[in-house]
Parts: sequence; structure tokens; C-alpha cells
Amino acid sequence: MSQLIANALITAAIIALVAVGFQLIFQTARFFHFAHGVIITCGAYCAYWLTREGTPFTAALILSVLFCAALGSAIWVFTYRPLQARGAGPTILLLASLGSYIVIQNVISLWFGNDTKTIRQGVVHEGLEILGARITPVQALTMLTSAVLIVGLHFFLQKTRIGNAMRAVANDPELAMISGIDSNRVFIGTFAIGSALAGVAGILMALDIDMNPQMGMNALLMGVVAVIIGGVNSIPGVALGALLLGMAQNFGVWKISSQWQDAIAFIILLAFLLFRPQGFMGKKVKKATI
Amino acid sequence: MDYLLHILILIGIYVILSLSLNLIAGYTGILSIAHAAFYGVGAYVAALMALKLGTPFLANVICAIILSGLLGALVGIPSLRIRDDYFVIATFAFQVITFSVLNNWVSFTSGPMGLPGIPQPRIFGLQVSSHWQFLVLVGICAILVFLAARRIVESPFGRVLKAIREDEVFALAAGKNVAAYKVLVFVIGAAMASVAGALYATYITFIDPTSFTVMESIFIISIVIIGGAGNLWGSVLGAAVLVILPEALRFVGLPSSVAANVRQIIYGALLVAFMMWRPQGFIGEYTFRKGDQG
Repeated sequence: MSQLIANALITAAIIALVAVGFQLIFQTARFFHFAHGVIITCGAYCAYWLTREGTPFTAALILSVLFCAALGSAIWVFTYRPLQARGAGPTILLLASLGSYIVIQNVISLWFGNDTKTIRQGVVHEGLEILGARITPVQALTMLTSAVLIVGLHFFLQKTRIGNAMRAVANDPELAMISGIDSNRVFIGTFAIGSALAGVAGILMALDIDMNPQMGMNALLMGVVAVIIGGVNSIPGVALGALLLGMAQNFGVWKISSQWQDAIAFIILLAFLLFRPQGFMGKKVKKATI
Repeated sequence: MDYLLHILILIGIYVILSLSLNLIAGYTGILSIAHAAFYGVGAYVAALMALKLGTPFLANVICAIILSGLLGALVGIPSLRIRDDYFVIATFAFQVITFSVLNNWVSFTSGPMGLPGIPQPRIFGLQVSSHWQFLVLVGICAILVFLAARRIVESPFGRVLKAIREDEVFALAAGKNVAAYKVLVFVIGAAMASVAGALYATYITFIDPTSFTVMESIFIISIVIIGGAGNLWGSVLGAAVLVILPEALRFVGLPSSVAANVRQIIYGALLVAFMMWRPQGFIGEYTFRKGDQG
């Protein structure tokens, strides 16, 4: 039982990390940036490539995260921003993000191959025993990192000037511009931070369960589900959503075979979309119909 | 020569798929990433019936149409409550759930191992097995689907679809039962896609869930958009271009191990490029921009 809880928390930790990054971008840019999924993959593969080229492990991790931040911002600058300048709506941006995802994922496949790679260091340990559950050091690190980063992000958005600027642009872009906030910088910062979080998630995933070019899509879809069921404007909500998903997936496999994890998550998503679209913590927004 | 026929058959199948999705996405304006699910259900129903019941091809196709149509209705109904981009996510969800069922219900669908040895069609006593015969069969089906689609879009029904695309609230105000139209177009689109599935299954004689993934759905919507959303000939053109283009690479000496990846890079890049510079595709009328009259 406690093992199930532990597994649920570990799953939730990764999903939450992906989700808050995605949510940050979604709040500000107001469309579904699916390419976020491939940034996750890039984080892992960048770390892989750097360690293979001889970079010390910690430096490789930091550089990979920075690379992800840069890549995310680059996608904004070269793809989304020009599209928005032409008046593209969320659907067109969504399609462009799907296209970007496909291109980058296949570049990774071409460069590194489709097989599973690993960046694990050293021997696989048996794992620590905490309160009756077995957790590997990597999994403990995952939960800790995720918690720290998410709480950190929450405070960053609430307390710092830049964070407030981001929230302002997310809330009302025109008003923010009138108040003197440089929305271009805010967007770049948003994409950078969100993508950095994605990179961290990718690295943590790779350290725990190795990596392949498709790893990002699944993690992303889980993250999107968490954002929607948690409420698109609330970090605590998203964390709650991730927790629900983690539990549903891990407790679900108790009774049902583990292959149905994805289906379970998406059935939960559909239920929320149909019956509580604002998520746990969101406020009900009435669609204006004129 | 066989290779050329193979390409033409594939184009035919994708023409059917893109025409059917064009009705939903291009004419009604509902972006859907669930189309590979309808395609897959059609393929699996036709294959399972042929393998386990030995029923004739036409009967299998009819059953495929019915079941896929039901799934279409299931997908279409939430479109009434869930708006715009959230609905796209919902179609994603249906796609993944369907794939999960195909992949994990091993006792019924053989899961990842797939269904080999699917019998080839036998229609009114005529056996369809050679490439030429399949080309004729696929060609006839593609033409029939095209004519049906054209009939639909040029009819009053089609006009309402376009009205929904341009301004849903206006269509409602004009007294149209928008809900019914949306569900119906999904049923029709799904039914047509299932025909493509049945053709695919009996042509390749082996299917497994990996042919009906999210990526396949994205490929089909790419064809619709690049060819031109809201224009039936656009779907034909798009299917031809997106099937031929990667194949043409083979003649430039590209090793087949990287062919699949390069193919995806091509259509991913084309999708972004078209969104950037020509969102109506080659000859489309609709650009997924609200209030755009094309």
C-alpha cells in the first residue's frame, strides 16, 4: 500500500513538473504549446550527448537545462511570434506547435536512433526503504526537485517583479503593455522558464527509466491532463491534478493491468472537460456569445 | 510497376481519409486529431470479421461503417459542450483511448502482435488480390467517397456546415440545430474513414495498432490542411503530394532506415511552413482563423 502511494507520488512529481511548465506557457501565450513535449526529450538527450562527449555530469545537467530554455525561447521567437504577428489564432498556433514537435522529435531520432538510451551513472542500487516503501535515490531526488521547483515557481510568480509582470501579461496583455511591461521580454522569459522545467523533467525521467525519442509526448499529454483538471490558472490546482493522475494511474494498476494507464488518464480528462471544465481550482468562465 | 501501383493505392486510401476529415475540419471547422481512431476501428472490424467469422468483404465494410459511425457520434457529442481548442484535446483523448483499446485488449485484437493473414476481398464472386485489382477497388471507393462528399458540401446540409464554421452562434440564431449537424458530420466522416481502414487491412493483409496512432491522426490532418481545408480537390492534391514526396526521396538515395523519420520531418516542416506563409494550404478556403472568409 505504501509502495503504491510512493509510486503515485513519484509519477505525480514528474507530471507536475511538466504541467507547471506547460501551464506557465499556456497562461501567457494562450494556446497549447505541444512542442513542450519534445523539449522534455531534448533535456534528456542533451544530457546524454554532453556526458558522452566527456562533460562532467553536473555540468552536463545544467547545460542541458539551459539549452532547453534557449530552445523553447527560440521556438517562440522563430515560430510563434511571427505567427501571432500575422494574427494567427490559437488553433493555427496549436498546429504549428504540432509540426514543430514532429520535426524536432524526428531530428532526435535521426541523430541518436530510436533505441532506448541511458544516462544513468553507476550501479543500480536497491533503493532506500522509507515507511514501508522502496524508493531509489533518483526517485527521491525527483520528488524533492519537483517540489522545490514548483513551490519556487509559485513564489516567483507571486512575489518577484518579473513574476508579477508575467502574471500581468497572462491576465491582460494589453493592459500590461499600457502599464509599461515589455511583453516580448515576458514571453521569452516565460518560454525559457517553462522549457527549463521541461528539461529538468526530461533529465529526471531519463535518470529513472531511461529514454527514447518518444518519451516526451506521453509525459506531455499527462501534463496537459493535469493542467486541465487542475485549473489552467492555478499552480496548486495543477499540483493537485498531477497528484490525482499519479494516484489514478498507480492505484489503477492495482486492479487493472498497467497498460491501461493512458486510457484511465484520458477518461478522467474527458470527464473533467465535460462536467467541470474549469478544473479543480479554476473559476467558471462564461463563454461570451454574441 | 508494382511499386507505382502500390503508391497509387496508398494515395487512394489517404484521399478517402483526408476527404472525410475535410468534411469535419475543413467544412465544419472542427479540428479533430481523432481520425486515425476511426480509420483503425474500420480496419480492425473488417479484419476481425474476415478472420473470425469469414464473412464477405462488403458485409465487413458495412459493419465497419456502423461501428465507426457510432464512435464518430461518441466523439461528436462532446463537441457541443467543449469549445474550440479544448475540444482538440478531447479528440486527442479519444484517439489515445481507442489506441489503448486496440493495443491492450489482447484477447480480442491480439494487441501489439497484430492480425496477420487477413483474407483479401471477394466481391460478388470476384477475387481482389493483385495490385491492379486493388487499385481498381480503391479507386472506385475513392471516387464514390469524393462524389458523396461533393454531394454533401453542395447541398443545404453542406451550407449549414459552412455556416457553423464561419459563425456558429449565427447559425444557431438562424434556427439550425447545430448540435445535430456536428454529430452527423462526425458520423459521416468516421464512416468514410472506416472504409479506408477496411481497404488498408485487406490490402496489406496485416494490421497492428501502430498504424493508427496519434501521429497518424496528425498526418491526416496535415494532408487536409496542406492540401487545402474546405476544398475537396485540396484533399486529393494533399494526399498525392504527402504520399509521393517522401517516396521520391528514396530515389535520391536516402537509406530506408531513416526514411520514416525524414518523411515525418517533411510533413511536420510543411505544416509549420504552411501555417506561417499559406494557412489555406494549396487550394483551401478555410484557415482555422475565426471569422476568416478565405
